[in-house]
Amino acid sequence: MSFLILCDGAFPAQTSGAHTALPAGRELTDEAGRKIRIPQEVDRVVSLAPNLTEIVFALGDGDHLAGDTDYCDYPAEAMQKPHVGGPVNPNLEVVVSLMPDLVLATSMNRRETVNALAHIGLPVYYVSLPHSVEEMIASMEHLGSALGVEKSAALLAEDLRGRLADLDRRLAGAAPRRVLFVVWTDPLISVGRDTFIADALRRAGGRSVVDTKAEWPHVSLEEIVRLQPEVLVFASAHAGSTQQDIDTLRTRPGWRDLEAIRHGNIVVVSDAINRPAPRMVDAIERLARALHLEAFASRTAPFSGGGTGFSLWGSVSAGTKPHRLKPVPPSSADSNPVTSTPRIEEACACAR
Amino acid sequence: MRPLTLRRLLWTCGSLAVLLLASVVLALKLGAVPISVTDLLLDLGRIAIGRANELPTEYRLIVFDLRLPRILLGILVGAALSVAGASFQALLRNPLADPYVLGVSSGAALGSILALLIAPGFALVTPLGAFLGAIATIAGVYFLGRREGQLDSATLLLGGIISASFFSAIIMFLLTTLSGRDLRGMVFWLMGDLSTPVSAGTQWIFTVGLVAGIGAIYSTSADLNLLLTGEREAIHLGVDVTRVKLVVYVSASLLTALAVSASGAIGYVGLLVPHAVRLIFGSDYRLLIPASALCGAIAIVLADTLARTIVPPTELPVGAMTAMAGAPVFIYLLRRGLR
Repeated sequence: MSFLILCDGAFPAQTSGAHTALPAGRELTDEAGRKIRIPQEVDRVVSLAPNLTEIVFALGDGDHLAGDTDYCDYPAEAMQKPHVGGPVNPNLEVVVSLMPDLVLATSMNRRETVNALAHIGLPVYYVSLPHSVEEMIASMEHLGSALGVEKSAALLAEDLRGRLADLDRRLAGAAPRRVLFVVWTDPLISVGRDTFIADALRRAGGRSVVDTKAEWPHVSLEEIVRLQPEVLVFASAHAGSTQQDIDTLRTRPGWRDLEAIRHGNIVVVSDAINRPAPRMVDAIERLARALHLEAFASRTAPFSGGGTGFSLWGSVSAGTKPHRLKPVPPSSADSNPVTSTPRIEEACACAR
Repeated sequence: MRPLTLRRLLWTCGSLAVLLLASVVLALKLGAVPISVTDLLLDLGRIAIGRANELPTEYRLIVFDLRLPRILLGILVGAALSVAGASFQALLRNPLADPYVLGVSSGAALGSILALLIAPGFALVTPLGAFLGAIATIAGVYFLGRREGQLDSATLLLGGIISASFFSAIIMFLLTTLSGRDLRGMVFWLMGDLSTPVSAGTQWIFTVGLVAGIGAIYSTSADLNLLLTGEREAIHLGVDVTRVKLVVYVSASLLTALAVSASGAIGYVGLLVPHAVRLIFGSDYRLLIPASALCGAIAIVLADTLARTIVPPTELPVGAMTAMAGAPVFIYLLRRGLR
């Protein structure tokens, strides 16, 4: 049988590393503890996940990005890069053809993909899914040193940490809002306590009513009706269908029994909150502002992270109590009635 | 039916081998990164004379480290599934028998997932688990399909389909206990996927298992011909039915298990290929077994090439391709059988 003879000589030299002959290089350890060897200067990077692509661009290293995935849509330049397929089923041939000297992978990718690329001798730097915003920032710094852009990574990290600290100061006195973060509506999927989204909610002055060890738990609607979150938080969908989805939810049994739905206490936040990348901090700031207007109402100083970008979020109000995100606690409403009201209106108007 | 001569056997298998070689070259050429046939042949030549080092790195990686191993794995899987299908059809005297339809693939999948959960980290734990799962399933389905000492065709198929859906339910349950990362890998694997390279050691074991399995089944092919006329008739003609059945059941389960542990549940190949071969070359098992192996290999190599190239650069699971082609044929055969 001819194919058996073919098999004889043609099983690939499994251990042959294509890059073993490199003259100089650095050895580094990725977040999965794998040791990889990369050239001194990393010139061609392929990213296998949207958040990694965003980080590479945020670090100012976008010019060295040789390819990314079909889902890498931010920044706009990312869409111009050659695509290697989706994060779950990238085409390995295309990855190889881009001749990367570093491939970036994360938990979105299949373990098989990472193994296969490492197996044929490409250095794959694995970034674990962070469990907190701080972990995301630290992970970004590590990645910065892998890419050889430590300085801009340090600067960006300092900026992000500064903005988060500022946020902490502003929210110091505010009681956390009890929120339900809706990852998916059918079935209802929310976030567990150890996810970066739960941490982002905490940083924004919210506290998820779902408190479980599972990362992305399916939650029963009955349980949510019992818990009655103060605010529902949605991440905006790309096609702008979020508003439609919310209108539909309002008429559905279960959902319409939620106080938050009835009172229109719904916040649509940029989908950046779903991606462990620097832009997440922008989303956190906007969410914080939506959840705790009173904490921001007294000051006029703008956000360092472009806090005027209301177009990305807004609160959606129901007919009965328009333009009220949440009954503002009497003390703060009384002390600052004039400044807080127009801000709420502004936020709501942009949501339509 | 024309009598089978050695000459005809060699001629048929020879031409099928040439066809297989042609489809391998085609599969090597086509892909997300285009490669010309002349370059490819020149490079194959260079490799044949041991000057592989002269090839550009990136090119060698794509064609010889990514495409070729995948094609070889496809050959092994296609041959294994087709021969397993042909054997089950003879043993159960049912033209609709196939590892996928009989639930053997699902049983093997369940076996390897269980093995992976119980003892992760061992290299051979998945093929072994898959083998035990396959053997247990075929025994169970055979038991379900028996009525008053005789195999009942409809009951057997029902038993197989019900086992398959029962195992799928257990697999779904087990999958919910896995983390997101393992889950994505498993789901792809369950759909039937060749994109994951297996280690060299595993591939050698597959090759040895495949040769042993097909060889064992081939050694019984004359008896299988007689068995097709009926169990009692075969006994009267001097066939050691118990031994033949044991050999073929174990070998076919081994082949299914190998295929499933390498590539997940690729459906309908074991059904489609032996039927096509029977239509073209007749139903003599001495020819049917080797011809099915070769045609199965060709079918999977071509189906996987389609899966790789149909929506570039995204790759589809090859199981989706075979199921799309196979399910309608299954329905056709079922309707024709009923009339």
